[in-house]
Formats: sequence, structure tokens, C-alpha cells
Amino acid sequence: MSGPSSQPATGVPATMTEDLLRPLLKTSWSFYLLVAVLGSIVLLGVGAFAYQVNTGIGVWGLNWPVFWAFDITNFVFWIGISHAGTLISAILRLVNAGWRRPVTRCAEVITAFALMIGAMFPIVHLGRPWLFFWLMPYPTERQIWPNFRSPLVWDFFAISTYLTGSLLFLYLPTIPDFALVRDKTTGWRHKVYGVLALGWRGTTKQWHRLESAMQIMAIAIIPVAVSVHTIVSFDFSMAIVPMWHSTIFGPYFVAGAIFSGIAALIIAMAALRKFLHLEAYLHPVHFENLGKLLLMMSLLWGYFVFAERLTTWYGNESAEMSVFWATQRGAFAPLYWTMVVCNFVLPLSILSFRKFRTVLGCVIASCGVVVGMWLERFLIIVPTLSHKYLSYSWGSYRPRTPEILLLISTFGAMGLLYTLFSKFVPIISIWELKVGEQPELTQPHETPDVAATLWRTHP
Amino acid sequence: MATPAIYGLYDEPAAAQRACTALKRAGVEEREITVISSEPFEAFEFSQRDHSLLLFRLAGIGGLVGFVLAVLLVTGTARAWPIDVGGMPIVAWWPYLVIIFELTMLSAILTTVVSLLITARLPSRRKDMYDLVVSDGKILVGVPMTAGRPADAIRQALGAGGAVTIKTADFQN
Amino acid sequence: MVACHAENNIPTVGASEAARGRAMHWLRVERYWEGEFPDVRLKFRPVLCQQCDAAPCEPVCPTYASHHTDEGLNAQVYNRCIGTRYCANACSYNVRFFNFFNPVWEKPLHLQLNPDVSVREVGVMEKCTFCVQRIKAAEQQVKAENRELKDGELKPACAQSCPATAIVFGDLNDPESQVSRLAASGRGEKLLEDLGTRPNVTYLKQARA
Repeated sequence: MSGPSSQPATGVPATMTEDLLRPLLKTSWSFYLLVAVLGSIVLLGVGAFAYQVNTGIGVWGLNWPVFWAFDITNFVFWIGISHAGTLISAILRLVNAGWRRPVTRCAEVITAFALMIGAMFPIVHLGRPWLFFWLMPYPTERQIWPNFRSPLVWDFFAISTYLTGSLLFLYLPTIPDFALVRDKTTGWRHKVYGVLALGWRGTTKQWHRLESAMQIMAIAIIPVAVSVHTIVSFDFSMAIVPMWHSTIFGPYFVAGAIFSGIAALIIAMAALRKFLHLEAYLHPVHFENLGKLLLMMSLLWGYFVFAERLTTWYGNESAEMSVFWATQRGAFAPLYWTMVVCNFVLPLSILSFRKFRTVLGCVIASCGVVVGMWLERFLIIVPTLSHKYLSYSWGSYRPRTPEILLLISTFGAMGLLYTLFSKFVPIISIWELKVGEQPELTQPHETPDVAATLWRTHP
Repeated sequence: MATPAIYGLYDEPAAAQRACTALKRAGVEEREITVISSEPFEAFEFSQRDHSLLLFRLAGIGGLVGFVLAVLLVTGTARAWPIDVGGMPIVAWWPYLVIIFELTMLSAILTTVVSLLITARLPSRRKDMYDLVVSDGKILVGVPMTAGRPADAIRQALGAGGAVTIKTADFQN
Repeated sequence: MVACHAENNIPTVGASEAARGRAMHWLRVERYWEGEFPDVRLKFRPVLCQQCDAAPCEPVCPTYASHHTDEGLNAQVYNRCIGTRYCANACSYNVRFFNFFNPVWEKPLHLQLNPDVSVREVGVMEKCTFCVQRIKAAEQQVKAENRELKDGELKPACAQSCPATAIVFGDLNDPESQVSRLAASGRGEKLLEDLGTRPNVTYLKQARA
């Protein structure tokens, strides 16, 4: 596990197809146990939500003036996590980084499910959640449309677009793999995967169209991803409230999102590697590369935090400084400094040294980052809301059980969805891995009587 | 209506390429040769003939359509029921750019996927040319046996590439 | 404050909820103590919705529940509110309140509910409306009587009940009204004016000899 890998970075065993299809075809008791445990955690959250809808948001810890806390923290956190897939799949695909191949589907799955979980919170946090559909633009007898000038309506459009794009971006490259499973199974599996594979055969025309579509989607999904978290940051920066009304929020949030997304990806990959015995496919070099990316994002995050806080401190505006000191020295100081350690000190200490950039080292750093990024969202929202301009109306916040249950259940939901996905879909893209294994032909051809022209090599 | 077809199965893409070249020399039109594989082989000539920029162009058009619809949506609804919020203009361009951008991208993405499905003829339930061993990594090169096509010449051409097997079957092609 | 609660059907949330910080005082009287005992001075500042011309709470509401009327009031339409609470976060003055639970009036208090004002359900935001029900009633009255509204004839509940007449209400568009003259006097200043919200409530400094 530690030290340089002893197998070549791109070497995959000859039993690739069997290995990667095995989770689909064989189920052990540990799978059922895991599903049962995660499912109960999710049910706890559903119960907490039902209780809240029935009784009122009052069962949470919100008050005047802290009207958003755990709900919006969870929302921003999960939307942030969802930026993993886009970075890995789309950006690495566009720059032709070959090491992405075993990792793309793991990452895209995180995106899809994290988005779904995050997108629940705009509904969950509503005072009257049964009316959430009023955010949709449709002609109604109420003679009113959504307020397109509101950042929450921007959220609705951005997240819908990103969710649609991500699900399609996830589904399209699974079509050839579904065809593979269809061909290798019988019975109900053959039928179901046959439907999912849409009758795919693998003609050259189909392959070319698929790759064109993936290229377009990769180009399109990157600006959408950047816009989504920027728009989520606009939920805060559009309000003239101390330490929210900052122009840095857009890039700051996007950087933070990619940061937390890579951390989530590392954790997911490590878990898959262990539980599905994918050591031959997810090599330490993949974790090393992602660890370097995580290090870079940690530095970037530190840069944004420094820029924002220096500007605030230097300006010394009284309203902003009361929020500033509340985080740095006041009631929120323990959380604030934990966040700094988790997001900056810990990743830097571990990931700066090749010796520590092992699978375990990356996972430890990533767990710290996940905790730290959740704290960061919380510390953006609650200290500001509890210290607005008029000091008579300052307040405080303490979470209550239903909110904590909801938070825990989101992690359970992510685990459950991921477990179920890896049971029914090959978690590593088989055909993309095969393409990665194609030998690089730098000579035109082997035999002189074949007029095979070679166009380009592939990574 | 089922048409008989002859196809060969190959282990290596280079072998499939040799077969395609031989088939073309035997007088088979390029568009009648079907090559099926479980992974794309971009480096070979048989992969290149279906290249086109169609999907890119369609995605651009889809984006444009989305852009127009988005502009109509936000300006039309704002003017139809004008409500003053915070002193902002009724048609406030800065906020509306966000909505317009998102709907443009959504339209481009959906157009791409729909175009893919249509041009790749998915979903398909027809019994088109296929063999299960393709999933094991074999490459299929096949030709429909239209009336008058000499079967022996085809077989010889397919054999030129070093086919593992040559089969005949009926397909709905 | 009591008059406001009574007039506008504002629920009293109870001791435990108030301890959680959920009291709903559309109009609050802030108290500031200055000096050391025994030379303590007490100052009061009532804070209510400032009915800002450039209200930060209005553009952020996704359902247009918070919007500006032609008369210059910041209206809250309870039926449109789905309870995102963004308006409350955007309000710099913290004058918006949320119904965390369904309001309850124990008998016989339910008999004193004002029939001119709706009772809000759980999940809805509310705030001071300048007693818009009284404004509407007065408008209809003078229209029926075919005359103009006299200055000082219409008072919201807070202005009506204040024994010191510390609150003055009127038409700012009429330069002759008492409100306009007081606002234009040198003593007037606005709360958080430099934020650019353009509040319509003016606070008068104490006149010093």
C-alpha cells in the first residue's frame, strides 16, 4: 500500500471483465447487512423530516435572527461534493489524462447522488414544503411566475440543469457496459440490462456518435458546474449582510466545492477498492494523483480564505468585524480553528510528502477535508446571521435532534445509493479501461500490404 | 424481412482492418461494411469513415434555441405581470443572464443526447447484425448478402484478415 | 407592542419558544442603558419594518410574496410565501418574523382576533405592514364619502396607542403633512442609511438647547 507501485500504472489483469462484473453477479451477506444499516439511517432522516413537516420548522434550532443553519449548510455542502465528478470526468477527459479512466464513473456517481441529496434541501428547508413546485416556471391560474430576480430561482434552474446534465453524462458511457452485461447474463438480468443498453451493438458509427456526445457533454458540463456553485454562493452574496456581501464568494465557493468533491472521491474510491477488491484497478498512483490535486485545492482554499479575511480585517468596518471576531475569537472560535486544521494544516502536512501520499494518507486527509468543509459552510452562514447590523437583534444558535438526524441520514443516503449503484452497474467503466489498454501505435502499420492509415494515438 | 449476411470475427483490430481493405478491393461499398466491437478503435481507418461534426452543430443549434426561449420566458413573464421588487427594473438583465445561461446549456445538453439517440439509432429492438462473442473482445466485420453478391469472394476477403470464424446468419438489416 | 399584537393577530409564542428566540414582535422597543448606577439613563428605540424603497428583502423572494406596492409599502403576501426565509436573512434590520409553529390562541383569547387581518399558518413569514388593513379601510371610507384623507386621521395601532405620541404616521408624498415636516426637519435621521435601502422611517434626534 505504501511506496511506489510495483505494477505498471496502466496494467490491468486479463480477468478485467470478470472482476468488474463480479459485484453485479454475486451478492454476499455483507451487502445485505450494509444496505440494512444504511437504509435504517436514511429512514431515521425521513422520519425526522416527516415530523418536521407535520409539526413545523420549530422543531429545529432555528430562531430569530438565525433563520438558516444546518439546512442550508447541508445544501451547500452536498452541492459542493457533487463537483467531484465534473472535475475528474470532464476536465481530465478534455485534457486527455489517461489515469482518469478507472476513476471517471466513481466520480460521476458521486456527482449524481450528491446532487440529488443536496437538491432535497431546498425542499426540506421550506416552511411550507408541499408548495415547493411554485419555484417551477409554468403557467398557473394564480397568474404569477417565479421571481427570476431571486437567487433561489436561479438555484432551481442551475441545479436542475446540472442534475440533468450529470445524470445523462453518467448514463451515456454506461450504455456499452450495460450491453456487455446484457450479453453475459440470462434471465431477468438479461432483460433489464437489455432495456438499459437500448439495443447497443457497438458499430463504428455508434461509437463515434457516443464519443462526440461525451465530448460535447464534457465541454458543456464544466461551465454548468462552475455556474451552479457560483449561483449557490449568490444565495449569500446577494444579501447586504456583513461578510456575505462579498464579491469573492463565487470563485471561493467553486474552489471549495472542487476541494470537497475530490476529498469525497478519494474516500469513495478507497472504500470501493477495499470492499470490491479492486486493488488491481485502483492503483496507489491514482490516489497519489488525486492527493496532489487535493493538496493544490487546499492551497487554493487557503488563498481564498486569506484574501477574504485580510480584506475584511483591513477594512475594519464595525459590522463586519463583529462577525470576524465571532469566528476567530468568539463563540465560534473552536469550530473555526478546527476547520482551519482540517482543511489546511492536516492536508498540507500529509499530502506534501510523497511518503505520506498513500491510500491511507489520502483518505485521512480527505476525511479531515470533508469535516472541515462542512464546518466552513456552517461558519459562513450562522455567525453572520447571528451578528447582523443592529446589535440588539443579535442571536445565537444551537442544533436540535431533528436537524442532526437529517445530517446523519444524508451521509447514510449517500452510502446507500452508492452501494446500490455498485451492485447494479459496473463501477469502473469497462470499455474505457479497454481503450486505455490499447497499445500506442506510433508506426503506421505492421504489415506492408495493408493500407491502414493511422490518425492519432490515444492516451 | 431477414437478409442473410456473412461476417467474420477477429481477435485484433489490425486483422479487422485487413479484412475491411480486402472487402473494399472485392468491390463492396464502404457503407455496406459493418464493423462491431466492444471498444472503439480510433486509431484504425475503419473507425474514421463515420466521423462527422453533426452532433457538434446540432448542439450549437440546440443551445441557440434554448437561448431564445429563455430570453422570451424571462422578459415575457416579467412584462406580463410586472411586480416591483426592491426598486429593480422589471426586466433586470443582470439577474436574467443567469437564467438565460442555464437554459441555454440545458437545451444544448438535451439536444446532444437526443441527437445521439437518433443518429445512433437507439433504442433499437431490431435484430440487427450482432454476435454475442463481441462482448468477449472479438471484432465483427460483416457484409449483407444482397442478391448477386458472390459469397466466395466475400469469404475470401474476410479470410484475408485472418478471421477466427466466418459465419452466416439472417438479420433484419 | 401589545396594540400591534392585538391589531395584527400576532401570536404570543409562549415562554419556552420566546427563550429560544422566536418571539414575534413586529414592532420591538429596544432599550439601551447608559451610565453607571445611580446615574443610569434609559433610552428607547422602537424598530419596525422600515418599508424600504430599495428593500433588500424583496428581490430575493422566489415567489413574489415580498414585493413593493404602488403606494410605497413593502407588502407581504402570506398566501404566496413558501417559507424559504431568505427575506429575513436579507433584511438588515431584522424586522421579519417566521411562524415556526401553527399559532395557537388559548380560549378566550381567540375572541379578540381582528377579523380584518388574516391568521398566518406555520411556515409563513410576516412583518409590520403599517397596519395595511387600516389603510385600506380608510381609503375605502374616504372614497365612499367622496373626500380626501385628513392628515392624522389614519393611525396604525402603534401610533394610536402610544401615550407619548412618539410615533407619527402620515403621507410622505404630501409635503404639508406632519410626517413630512418632521422628516424634513434637521433632527431626522434614518437607520442604517448608508446601506442604500432607502428606509421610509425617520428617527428624530432629541432636540438639544
